[in-house]
Amino acid sequence: MFTENVDKRIKLSFKIGGVLLAFVGLSAYFGLHPRVSDVGYRPEQPVPYSHKLHAGDLGIKCMYCHSSVESSAHSAVPSTSTCMNCHKAVLPDSPKLELVRESSKTGMPIEWRKVHKLPDYVNFNHSRHIRSGIDCASCHGEVETMGVVTQMQPLNMGWCLDCHRNPQDHVVPAREISGIFMGAKTYEEVAADWQNSIPTWGDGKWLSEKSFVPGFNGTIMNGWKEEDRLDPKAVAVMKEAAEKGFEGVAFASHAFEYDAPAAEGMFVPKKPSLGPENCGACHY
Amino acid sequence: MKKTKFPIFTTLLVVVFLLFWVGLISGNILWTSNTPPLQVIPDMDVQTRVQPQRLNTFFATRSATRAPLEHTVPRYGEIYRPTTPEEAEEEYRNTLPNNAITLARGKNRYGVYCTPCHGASGEGEGSVAARSVTLKPPSLIAEAALARSHSDARLFHIISAGQNIMPGYRDKLKEVDRWAVVNYIREMQREAGGYFWTAEAAAAQASALEESEEDGESEGGTE
Ligand code: HEC
Ligand code: HEC
Ligand code: HEC
Ligand code: HEC
Ligand code: HEC
Ligand code: HEC
Repeated sequence: MFTENVDKRIKLSFKIGGVLLAFVGLSAYFGLHPRVSDVGYRPEQPVPYSHKLHAGDLGIKCMYCHSSVESSAHSAVPSTSTCMNCHKAVLPDSPKLELVRESSKTGMPIEWRKVHKLPDYVNFNHSRHIRSGIDCASCHGEVETMGVVTQMQPLNMGWCLDCHRNPQDHVVPAREISGIFMGAKTYEEVAADWQNSIPTWGDGKWLSEKSFVPGFNGTIMNGWKEEDRLDPKAVAVMKEAAEKGFEGVAFASHAFEYDAPAAEGMFVPKKPSLGPENCGACHY
Repeated sequence: MKKTKFPIFTTLLVVVFLLFWVGLISGNILWTSNTPPLQVIPDMDVQTRVQPQRLNTFFATRSATRAPLEHTVPRYGEIYRPTTPEEAEEEYRNTLPNNAITLARGKNRYGVYCTPCHGASGEGEGSVAARSVTLKPPSLIAEAALARSHSDARLFHIISAGQNIMPGYRDKLKEVDRWAVVNYIREMQREAGGYFWTAEAAAAQASALEESEEDGESEGGTE
């Protein structure tokens, strides 16, 4: 139809076009993954507050400021009064702290910019993780080395599940700097606990093939219900786990009993275990 | 036919570019950015419900987190009434059992909230105190430390409400945790040796005082 020359050009442009399309398509697909698009978010904050100075150099534990982290779902960014605990007396007239003093005087909160952001339909609970001796660094990176907080993890659903299935590969056990309470255990013992628990769970990869058992998914909002236990597929998975000698397979993190608190109202740490798999645990 | 030279430089450039590109799009090169992550399909990521510490222009403080109104009582939580150590001594008693776990809790809480100023040993050598001229806490364990002769309830009051330049910690430490810290301070003093206030000694002293007063009265009566 065309001359040989034109034919060649058409073929060539198809080839080049195909390669370009593949390049752009693949780049967009992988480049928009939260691992790329979300990690590295580092907004400027209104006050030049530095974790490297406060947590790193001064050794102030994370919980001094983020004190609600062990008792609530939300890890609060500290109020102005927390800064003033020290800055009433330390550097009381530094220009960098102008905004803090103003906020303390007027009662208007400092408008820190939120770094880590899960979609609002996700139910994430800090205290459940802290209780098991999972350090902040597992999810936030080593904040005590950061001048400005940077998001280090993608926070997508696959990331949560990767850890829930194979926590031993992802968990950084509780460290001194975080100030997490682990009962009478030392932090070395907690770290050893995480390692020693692996045989009792088995290889999480075994589980991940079977984990989304219908009947579990979406049906459990607040832990086990009797009819969930009786779901035949769930029973089969639990039976297989028992045969393999694994205890506490996923979606069963509720099955672990808590110790009684040492005193009324005192925080109780928990043994390491797998995270949940059922949709209802993380989605409202 | 003319022999074409192999374009080493161009090939190298392409390879380097591709390696860089793969590193970038696979997320292995950390690229920090000040702009919020792109939300391609925003689903229901941002909902209008009120969430802790989020911006909320409805309220005057522009924050969704509200301070409790005046004259209200928290449903879960406590109100701390004493304003002087004496009032605290009247109202509060240390009933926390002293065992390995409560002591560990005290040590942990002390480590989080007190070490910046008082130091791990209680001598007042904390990292923040070292950088400040005015924020110099007294030793809690030295031979002549006031903290040794303070009653448990008085220490509890200092932790709850603060003292002079020291801030109070009742917003951060629950009641049991504050008693756990008190017990841990006592433990440090016990380890350092020497005198420290104990409930038994105080009770014995009080009853001895009462007795001697009674004796005095009865003696006065017979004369
Ligand atoms: C002296 C108080 C203080 C200490 C100690 C402290 N932080 Fe923070 N943290 C803040 C303040 C203020 C912000 C908000 C400003 C910012 O993002 O930099 C913050 C922000 C953060 C954020 C980001 C929150 C967001 O918006 O997503 C993380 C994560 C965090 N801190 C973790 C830690 C960890 C981990 C430690 C212990 C190594 C720690 N912090 C110690 C005061 C503190
Ligand atoms: C436990 C005590 C403590 C707390 C709480 C604390 N700081 Fe600091 N801050 C310090 C010390 C100590 C320094 C360093 C002083 C020096 O360098 O000599 C400092 C330094 C700073 C500086 C640098 C000031 C300058 O002029 O270089 C800023 C900014 C700052 N803090 C902000 C904050 C903010 C915001 C908060 C509240 C989230 C906070 N700090 C809470 C102890 C504290
Ligand atoms: C299992 C993972 C995980 C661990 C462990 C963890 N965090 Fe977080 N953190 C998150 C996620 C996810 C978010 C985002 C939550 C949201 O947007 O609702 C977050 C948010 C935060 C925020 C910001 C809250 C806000 O509203 O801006 C702070 C501060 C914080 N974390 C501090 C800590 C500290 C301190 C620790 C350790 C004691 C810790 N986190 C441990 C996953 C974790
Ligand atoms: C670093 C590992 C790790 C990461 C990352 C992680 N988790 Fe977990 N999570 C765990 C472990 C381990 C447990 C079990 C804790 C226990 O023993 O109670 C758990 C428990 C939970 C629970 C409590 C389930 C229950 O039994 O009530 C929820 C909900 C949860 N995770 C949600 C999330 C969400 C949502 C994310 C992602 C934003 C996430 N987790 C990321 C390790 C992790
Ligand atoms: C470990 C916690 C966890 C469990 C279990 C879980 N999810 Fe999610 N899910 C998340 C998180 C976190 C996100 C937000 C991911 C993001 O930010 O892109 C999410 C996002 C989603 C989305 C929206 C994805 C998008 O990008 O639009 C869907 C749909 C979803 N989950 C379905 C499910 C279903 C169905 C199940 C049960 C089979 C389930 N999830 C179990 C944590 C969980
Ligand atoms: C911001 C630094 C700072 C922190 C944090 C701090 N203190 Fe203090 N503390 C002081 C200073 C300064 C004084 C001296 C107050 C005065 O002049 O009366 C003091 C005094 C005391 C006293 C009275 C000692 C005496 O001889 O009168 C006790 C007891 C005490 N602190 C206990 C604690 C405990 C327990 C904690 C932890 C919950 C704590 N402090 C946290 C700075 C601090």
